[in-house]
Amino acid sequence: MSMIDSLLAGLSLVSNVYAFLALFGGIIIGVIGGAIPGMSATMAVALTLPFTFALQPITGILLLLGVYKGGIFGGSIPAILIKTPGTPASSATILDGYPLAEKGEAGRALGMALWASCTADLISNLALILFAGWLASFALSFGPPEFFALILFSLTIIAGVSGDSLLRGALSALMGLLLATIGLDLVYGTNRFTFGSPNMMGGLNFIAVLIGLFAIPEIIAMVWNPTAHIGKTRKLGKNWVTFEDYKNSFKSIVRGSFIGVFLGSIPGIGAAPSAFLSYSEARRKSPNKKNFGKGEIEGVAAAEAGNNGVAGATLIPLLALGVPGDVITAIILGAFMIHGLQPGPMMFVLNVDIIYGLFIGLIVSSIFLFLVGSVAIRGFKYVADVPKRILIPGVLVLCIFGVFAVNNNIFDVGVMFAMGWLGYFMMRNSIPAAPFLIAFILGPLLEDNFRQSMLMSGTDFTILFRGPITWFFWAATIITIIAIVRSTIAGRVKTTPQ
Amino acid sequence: MTAKTIHLRLGLLACAISLFLIFFAIPYWVSSPSNVGKVVLSPLFWPYTISALTGLVGILLFIEWWRTPPTDERINEPSDDTRTAMLRLLGMAVIMVLTMMLLPVLGMVWTCMLSFISTAFLVRTRHPVTAVICAVVIPLLLYVFFAHVAGVAIPQGDFVRLP
Repeated sequence: MSMIDSLLAGLSLVSNVYAFLALFGGIIIGVIGGAIPGMSATMAVALTLPFTFALQPITGILLLLGVYKGGIFGGSIPAILIKTPGTPASSATILDGYPLAEKGEAGRALGMALWASCTADLISNLALILFAGWLASFALSFGPPEFFALILFSLTIIAGVSGDSLLRGALSALMGLLLATIGLDLVYGTNRFTFGSPNMMGGLNFIAVLIGLFAIPEIIAMVWNPTAHIGKTRKLGKNWVTFEDYKNSFKSIVRGSFIGVFLGSIPGIGAAPSAFLSYSEARRKSPNKKNFGKGEIEGVAAAEAGNNGVAGATLIPLLALGVPGDVITAIILGAFMIHGLQPGPMMFVLNVDIIYGLFIGLIVSSIFLFLVGSVAIRGFKYVADVPKRILIPGVLVLCIFGVFAVNNNIFDVGVMFAMGWLGYFMMRNSIPAAPFLIAFILGPLLEDNFRQSMLMSGTDFTILFRGPITWFFWAATIITIIAIVRSTIAGRVKTTPQ
Repeated sequence: MTAKTIHLRLGLLACAISLFLIFFAIPYWVSSPSNVGKVVLSPLFWPYTISALTGLVGILLFIEWWRTPPTDERINEPSDDTRTAMLRLLGMAVIMVLTMMLLPVLGMVWTCMLSFISTAFLVRTRHPVTAVICAVVIPLLLYVFFAHVAGVAIPQGDFVRLP
């Protein structure tokens, strides 16, 4: 099938009002979810997931992508207005966004955040379209040993999402790997930790684990301290962003977008480091470098370009290799699976219409993001006014319905509650939940490919190093581990008191 | 709680989990066919590997605890009143258990209404009337969506059945 044919097939799939309505609705949900501190884009995507079951696969996935993109931008709204990033990716936006809000120029900062976000989003989507297909065609030659090496490398994502302690992240990941072993054995079909229960034989439900880890702990945290969220909101001010501001920041926006694309296409780096790198590069190169940190509009532009540049690029490894680039794409991977689709190189052969439909939807999403974002900036006041102590019980009910709907099984609701308490324990002990989820998803793939490789070779381990592709991933894994160890040691030296 | 205390607790916990898995959970709860020739192909191989790595991380956390200098910097925000907060947590656990028990008996909609109201009052909502209205409206709307749009068989319970 030629590219034109693929494009036309994709167009025929999305050229209906439902697909675009889902995308538009998703962006609205995402912006609102991202704008409510404590809700986060991840939680918004997780809670929207059950609503996609009744939709066509393309419509459902576009809805989730809309939530993802909306959520990343939405996070900048509370970051600028109340110095509370709605998502970790918006942390760098605080540096100049909040000082601008203090000067009474919140509207200008939010406007620039929107313009930079949309530009970076567009660049990121174009990068996805250009590179995903190329990477997928390369990955078609992968066998189990290559996939084992790739997934092992992907597990180094955990270092990127472990927060301030790699060991706590590793512990979290090991718990995720352990939980992924529950169910029938992949090769022999024997029981592993099923306790004779038929509910456990298929393993723990991914959605129940996901919502349990990300949404329920927020509810329990609210129960622990019901007044922790009470804060102040700011007025938008009368100054708005001008085209002159955009033009002056354009270089930083484009640079930040490319940083986002590059870092986003490597599994595990995520949007927050990208935003900070983009911000520091902008500060290094800007003629107004002295003003950075005190309310420089270019700083807001660079931070937002950095984090939004990641949004499309994280889909490159997801679509081309079936490897999630971050937690949200891990959830979207789950959505693909629920709809009977397996992202990876074969998807570019078997479901090319869906791939190109997604590409078209993603390009349109940048325009929708601009429209929704413009309204959201003015409407944030109302979003912030939703009483948190009404929102949280609503989230609980939504979780119960959503998790039950996956398999029509009350047992899954119990799994979700149990995972919620585990997630709360992890939250209280500063154990990051993201490594747990990523390991829970990648664990069965890792084991499956390892055992398939062993079966192929008659348990000869040299098969895991059988060609240039495996060598490349082993080298990448070793380099990443060395880099992690070095940065950990450097961090320790820095924090040790003299 | 300080980072140092967390490392100690987690180190001990990880070691305990590892030992429990290796000496009790895996031998009793993971079955393997007797004719598996190579150890790497056995269903036991992966759980044992993960357990061993958990133990290793536990030891490293313990070393981290030992090496970290003591600080006063606390990681989690304390609640105003820890005893009341603990009681609220207990209340939330009871709500969850009751939800599980009532779901097949009352049905999902009515159970969720009760869960909503009890959670809202547990977190001391300042909008009791809105909470009651939302408690009725939100589960009904979700029921309409999941039952009539998504075609999910939402549990109806033994008493009041919805159309």
